[in-house]
Amino acid sequence: MGKLTNFKRSLWVFHASGGSCNGCDIEIIAALTPRYDAERFGIKLVGSPRHADVLLVTGAIPRDFADKLKRIYEQMPDPKAVIVVGNCGTSGGVFYDSYNLVGPIDEIIPVDIYVPGCPPRPEAIIDAVVKAWLKLEKLEKELEGKKE
Amino acid sequence: MIPRLVTGAGYWSPLLWLAFLIPFALIGYLIYSRGNPGYKKDTEQVKPYLSGNIEPSKEKIQVKASDIYWGFIEALKGYYNILQTIHTGDLRDYILWYLGVGTIILFLLVGGA
Repeated sequence: MGKLTNFKRSLWVFHASGGSCNGCDIEIIAALTPRYDAERFGIKLVGSPRHADVLLVTGAIPRDFADKLKRIYEQMPDPKAVIVVGNCGTSGGVFYDSYNLVGPIDEIIPVDIYVPGCPPRPEAIIDAVVKAWLKLEKLEKELEGKKE
Repeated sequence: MIPRLVTGAGYWSPLLWLAFLIPFALIGYLIYSRGNPGYKKDTEQVKPYLSGNIEPSKEKIQVKASDIYWGFIEALKGYYNILQTIHTGDLRDYILWYLGVGTIILFLLVGGA
């Protein structure tokens, strides 16, 4: 795994739940509660996408939520990364052919990291966040290169 | 010479006030300059976050003074609908109503006596 050298700040995450059964959402909370305690590394959930570096999306996306998800993604500042947690967001899961879904999520917004599972374990979610951190570092370097 | 206003509680000088404000303005500018300059103008990034919903127009979300009485007006809608049609804004109509109702009251009083 690469070394974190450039993205020198705590990584803030915005969680958007679109049609999720709450299974993945509970595992995200589990990653933050004392057993795993991701917050000790500065990884925390924030209430607005405008404060976030990472967008965490759960659930198969219903038709009504697609434009909202797109808007949330567009409101995040650059550099940003998107993580999809769970089977539903990754492929549609058991709802893949449902008439009122527009997912999988990568058909709505660009996705960087997938965390498969129904629901995935908190370790897998934390691992995905670390991967997002590396991606953000790469993007930050690119942005700095553009500035120079 | 800048005049100094002396009061019972002390004095007020515009120059001193300016000197007091300058450090705050500098601190404000320092915080502002450390903000993210990479935001994209005229995109969703500059709009407020409303759980992904479109920002409604100011007219739609403005609370009007009449909204305070909304429940009252809604409950008495039948009464107000009639009253509003009678309410022509023509002074002659009001005088006519005044005379008409006055006559009825007078008849009732005289009749009662």
